[in-house]
Amino acid sequence: MNTNTFKFYGSGNSGAKNWYIQRISGIVLVVVLIGHYILMHATPESGHTYQAVMERLHQPIWKIIDLTFITLGLWHGLNGTWNVIRDFTLKQWVVTTLYTILIVIALAFWFLGVNTILSF
Amino acid sequence: MSTQSSPSVFSRWLSVLFNYKKHSGSWAWILHRITGLGLTFYILLHIVALTGLLKGEAAFNAEMKLFSSPFFLFGEWLLGTLVVFHAVNGIRIVLVDLGNGAKYHKQILKFVYVLSFIFIAGMGYLIFSHI
Repeated sequence: MNTNTFKFYGSGNSGAKNWYIQRISGIVLVVVLIGHYILMHATPESGHTYQAVMERLHQPIWKIIDLTFITLGLWHGLNGTWNVIRDFTLKQWVVTTLYTILIVIALAFWFLGVNTILSF
Repeated sequence: MSTQSSPSVFSRWLSVLFNYKKHSGSWAWILHRITGLGLTFYILLHIVALTGLLKGEAAFNAEMKLFSSPFFLFGEWLLGTLVVFHAVNGIRIVLVDLGNGAKYHKQILKFVYVLSFIFIAGMGYLIFSHI
């Protein structure tokens, strides 16, 4: 295999750092998700009204939790998608295009989410 | 392997997928990827849906009312099955990669399926008891 194929698309050359962050972010996401599910599904009344969301979003701690959630969630998901893409033997221009699309999606949706959280 | 792909990368991939002998771990790997891609798509939808907060109280509450209809609740439960399997199997992957799980990964996998089933059933109860 031509080892240069993915040289400029991961984190460094080996991807070890990405692999490690994928594991760590996964653990953090499981912890946050448990809280998310207790709040939103075990007691749905507490989570879903505009009033309830506003009360939470006006507290800095919830902003920090939500920003963490959105950042790690997007990174974990899109890095995972990148891992799936890397399993295929694709032409270089296809790899470049897909990588660019992932970066654009990451930035666009991250700003969309951060804008929602920080608007209140 | 070369960087030049044949015209049928996808069909080649499919033939490997179907012909490769699959042990229990292979199925976990396949399910982990499918659920992961599904969840990545969902988080994008989720971010878009929550921009409804910017449209004010009436619009957001109307949106939430739509999402609490039986159709969306069922979708929520289906989504929950993806979340549960991906989370529980993800813990298994961490145990294999960062712990000593490689020695016990098949036993852990059985545990993963049982635990997932319990969580999925429990979540179904929580979601549908609120209709």
